[in-house]
Amino acid sequence: MKKNSLSGICEEITFSNFFKDHVKSLRNYLFYKFGNEEQADDVTQEAFIKLWQNCADVPPEKAKSFLYTVANNTSLNHIAHQKVVLQYAKRNTHVHTDEQNPEFLMEEEQFKVKLQKAIAGLTEAQRTAFLLHRIDGKKYHEIAEILGISIKAVEKRIHGALVELRKEIENMR
Amino acid sequence: MKEEKENNKLAKWLDGRMTDEELREFEALPGFETYNKIKAFSGALTAPDVDIDTLYQNVTRHKNRKSSVRKLNPWFAKIAATLLLTLGLTYFFYTTHTTNTVAETGARTEFLLPDHSSIVLNAGSEAEYRTWNWDNNRIVELNGEAYFKVAKGKKFDVVTPLGTVTVVGTQFNVKARGNRFDVTCFEGKVMVNSNGEEIMLTPGQSVSFEDGKNIIVPLEEAKQPGWITYEVAFHSEKLTNVIAEMERQYGLTISLPEDVYSPFSGALPMNDLDTALDNITSIYHLKAKRTGDRIVLTSE
Repeated sequence: MKKNSLSGICEEITFSNFFKDHVKSLRNYLFYKFGNEEQADDVTQEAFIKLWQNCADVPPEKAKSFLYTVANNTSLNHIAHQKVVLQYAKRNTHVHTDEQNPEFLMEEEQFKVKLQKAIAGLTEAQRTAFLLHRIDGKKYHEIAEILGISIKAVEKRIHGALVELRKEIENMR
Repeated sequence: MKEEKENNKLAKWLDGRMTDEELREFEALPGFETYNKIKAFSGALTAPDVDIDTLYQNVTRHKNRKSSVRKLNPWFAKIAATLLLTLGLTYFFYTTHTTNTVAETGARTEFLLPDHSSIVLNAGSEAEYRTWNWDNNRIVELNGEAYFKVAKGKKFDVVTPLGTVTVVGTQFNVKARGNRFDVTCFEGKVMVNSNGEEIMLTPGQSVSFEDGKNIIVPLEEAKQPGWITYEVAFHSEKLTNVIAEMERQYGLTISLPEDVYSPFSGALPMNDLDTALDNITSIYHLKAKRTGDRIVLTSE
């Protein structure tokens, strides 16, 4: 991103690299928001198209925030959102690999289902912040940048999400 | 305050930023086990795979199409609109633009029409015509007197407030002054239309209307109107008309005492004021006194 800054993101190779660097995060973020892959893909596409159309006016260092701003603005039109359906990675699904007795495994499976349900029940604000951290491994300051809020606000949402998840899961028992 | 600290705590813990002491404290709390499970299992969650290549292709495809529509269109429309406007305005001005030629009093003007027909405007006259599509629409609006040498072609109209003269390849004189309308044909044929009356003139013939009434005028023997050579012939012309003609030709003001005068017939030079005045004064028994541009005629 820092090289090629002369020609900016209008340069196809620069744009292509920028796209590869950010497409997954943006798409996942939108997916956590909408709970719908198609909508997430659409808005992702739209945001990148807008970026390219305005590539001459957007300096490379502003490209990322431009991208998320466009995505957030476009999202305003997508009001209806669905339940977020997530999958567990096939590998490493077991927390305690040394305690693999059947009863424990069953309990673990139950917990996973409960967790999925609880996540789907979170507010959009809590869910996006929480999943960006858990799935995409975003740091709090990165999440703050994406959502356009302060780091403190991100921490508050993460905390709120954890409290809510625990409450939901324990209530399901 | 405590709530605030608590807020930071869970987020801090998830981020691995708790101090050992804080961690020990937290681990002792009843909710820790669930929190720990949440942390572990949520870390194993995945979002549906992204088809990066397809998305990228869609972006580039849309980018090309949309930009061509959004950026080219206003540019193209602007040029098209400007062109149309320019064309429209040009057409408007071109079709409605009239050329106006004026001969001031005491002067005459000779000019050519687009088809090289020549017009000599007598003093104090005005001609107006459109250059656009001239060859198919040969119309000259005349106020005053003019001698036309019309080039061969289609219909040629001279429109005056007193009547219309239609000609085909000819030379003729048209005079429309006040209530007097004279047309003399010198070559070819001339159709005169005045007050719904149509008269065909052949070379040498003239037609005159005074207050809309036809006046008999003798045959013209000259090859061109007298005024071209500064010798104007009058036939049964009101003296006031003669005086008005002299005023135009010489660029003077001539005052005539109110009286009843017999019509004037004869020729007057228009480049020799003294001779012309002598003629008038001797016929009508008048005296002329000149001061600057003003001539006062008095009864003898």
